[in-house]
Amino acid sequence: MSEIILSLEGVSKTFKGKPAVRNLSFAVKRGEITGFLGPNGAGKTTSLRMALGILAPDSGRVTLFGGPPRASALEHVGFLPEERGIYRKMKVIDCIIFFARLKGVAPGEARRRGLEMLEEFGLADVAGSKIKTLSKGMAQKIQIICTLIHNPEFIILDEPFSGLDPVNQKALEQIVRARSKAGATILFSTHVMEHAERLCDQIVLLAKGRKVFDGTVEAALAEVPRRVILETAARAGLREAFAPLGVVSQEDGAPEGAVRWRIDLGPGIDAQHVLKTCVDGDIKLLRFEPARAHLHDAFVQLVETGNHAADPDLTGEAV
Amino acid sequence: MRAIYLIARREFLSYVATWGFWLSLASMPMFMALGFGLPILIENSQPTRYYALIDETGGELEQVIMAARDASREAQSEAVETATAQLAGDSPQLAAALEAAQAQGQIPTQPERYVRVTPEGTDIDTLRPYLLGESSIATDEGDQPLFAAIYLRETASGGIEMEYWSTNLTDGELRSDMRRALRDHMQLNHMLENGVPRELIRDASQLNPVVRELNPERSLDTAEVTSVERLPIIVAIGVAFGLWIIIFSVVNMLLTAMIEEKGNKVLEMMLASSRHHEILTGKLLGVAGVSATLLLAWGSLAAFGGLAIQQLPFAADLPLADVMAAVLDPALIFPAIGYFIIGYLMYGAVFLAIGSLCDTLQDAQTLMSPMMLIMMVPLFLVMVAADAPDSPIVVFASWVPLWTPFIMLARLPQDPGLIDILGTTGLMLATAIAVIWAAGVVFRMGALNQANQDTIKGWFAIFGRKKSG
Repeated sequence: MSEIILSLEGVSKTFKGKPAVRNLSFAVKRGEITGFLGPNGAGKTTSLRMALGILAPDSGRVTLFGGPPRASALEHVGFLPEERGIYRKMKVIDCIIFFARLKGVAPGEARRRGLEMLEEFGLADVAGSKIKTLSKGMAQKIQIICTLIHNPEFIILDEPFSGLDPVNQKALEQIVRARSKAGATILFSTHVMEHAERLCDQIVLLAKGRKVFDGTVEAALAEVPRRVILETAARAGLREAFAPLGVVSQEDGAPEGAVRWRIDLGPGIDAQHVLKTCVDGDIKLLRFEPARAHLHDAFVQLVETGNHAADPDLTGEAV
Repeated sequence: MRAIYLIARREFLSYVATWGFWLSLASMPMFMALGFGLPILIENSQPTRYYALIDETGGELEQVIMAARDASREAQSEAVETATAQLAGDSPQLAAALEAAQAQGQIPTQPERYVRVTPEGTDIDTLRPYLLGESSIATDEGDQPLFAAIYLRETASGGIEMEYWSTNLTDGELRSDMRRALRDHMQLNHMLENGVPRELIRDASQLNPVVRELNPERSLDTAEVTSVERLPIIVAIGVAFGLWIIIFSVVNMLLTAMIEEKGNKVLEMMLASSRHHEILTGKLLGVAGVSATLLLAWGSLAAFGGLAIQQLPFAADLPLADVMAAVLDPALIFPAIGYFIIGYLMYGAVFLAIGSLCDTLQDAQTLMSPMMLIMMVPLFLVMVAADAPDSPIVVFASWVPLWTPFIMLARLPQDPGLIDILGTTGLMLATAIAVIWAAGVVFRMGALNQANQDTIKGWFAIFGRKKSG
């Protein structure tokens, strides 16, 4: 069994009487990339702060590297907060060295690694510049360097892609993959599903402070009904023929003399079954389009389901 | 500990490695030099004033006034001669050189500030254009306006009336000099007319009591109190002011740095590497280092400046050694260090907490105003403590923990009771612990945006409601 790097067990946190996180439990295993997903205000940042011991939970237990999140454990963690900033009046290299030293890296080693990473990020020529003279994108890269400078075993990134342009988003994805390949455990929060779908081994989905899903990306996608779009020559009895495959609905927009169908496939039914039904029923197919489910659909569905479930009038327990 | 050291070091260097810090370090001695030098500069840069004196009594009063002005000039010359002799000290060569220079007119004498001129006309209608600057009077300095026209008359009752015409309402020195000369003349005449002999009047004017101030705590032969003995009181007041200035300066540094850090959103990055108390302590220590640098720099400058001045012959009699001894007196210096540390920690923690609640200086203004008022009070009370250390207001104020460091420091040389010293210190220490703890709580909330200035206002609103309820 993989080593658990971080675990939250029944953790709750309330601010001014409003629950931010409710009875949250999940674990991050060594070497995995875990996506911490949820809409704005779902409690992701509060959960991450509790995971690092920045905030104390009202109830429940947080374990980081097998113990409470003490300052000594933070030396093995690289955290990029959502509200990130940096000392604008400091020189780039001095700032990197400062954060490296806070994490226990020796001064000489901090400088060497800092210059190396600046080179790697294409920022070697600004090492001696003050941060206030850099562009926003460059400053964000410096923040990422400050987060990773001590080669942390566990990297926590809170909304790391927000504020980055598509080129830098792609670059950050590559960095996350590279660090994961090098053995780091990564937990990142986001509400951009494409990143999570591409990067994550596991996702934890929050809605209104409760966990509504915890599992692999495939398992999340399985929560969304797969779908097939068909266009057939008009003919009587088609709805009845498709009915055993799932939920059938007729859609507008088909060419003249044709009918467009959308079939949300039932459990255990796949696109091959639809094709076989058409062949067996001698149904003239004009279009056959199996639609691949995306994490976005799973996210929307799970959050909507979770919101209903989180409503205390409907149910009292998280999924 | 490493985090505290690194944060303190970064904080310290962020100030000390800036031009602004060295400018502010230099500004204090510069302002002090300006404080001493500016009045002299202003005095020396005054323009020469030209006035007309018209005596309508026949010339007697004119003579009286001119004699008084000559006497005043002679007194000034004597003062210059005394100062020159002091400057020469025991050196016969220097004395000879000064004498020679004086004889050759190489040492400039103080120019006359008010010069009498005699215009062609004497009635006010003729002189009005000169007074208004429409016409000029020919002088050694070229054409100049008339500063004042002064008419001296005898009243119907036999008194003296002076009419003083001038457009300058602020420079009243000439007017005062003339009034003083006329008053002395009138008083002298009155006494002479009533049969008081002139010699008696002169002798009476020179009478002066001998005042000896004695300390009942000592035996008769050593009881006399000298001005040097008052030095500790004056020095303590000075140190209390210095303490206030330094604490006030550095806590403002803390506030602006905290607001800047909050605005830059650096705090959460820091919290991922260190704990709240480490950030708070590191910042306090870093800025304490800045104030220690200021103290050392100013202290060294004052010590070297004092030593340098004492090498000059005319300053040999100044009690600079006594001042230094008073400053370095363990009975003052150790309490001063203690009061500085506690005062700095109290105010520093409060200002850091305020900073953590605000994103901009404008946000901080509302919370700063009451703190500024609290900080201003001891500034005034220290002055009262100098004259009346046993004043009930001063005694009461010294028990207010936020004011104790300043007021007790000013009271110390005047031997306050042991209960006062121990009680105020204990209360101050307890308050400092409570304030630092509360500031830590506020800082923790503010750093994570769980509280802002409205939260504090809300607390006071709750207290207000509870009170009124």
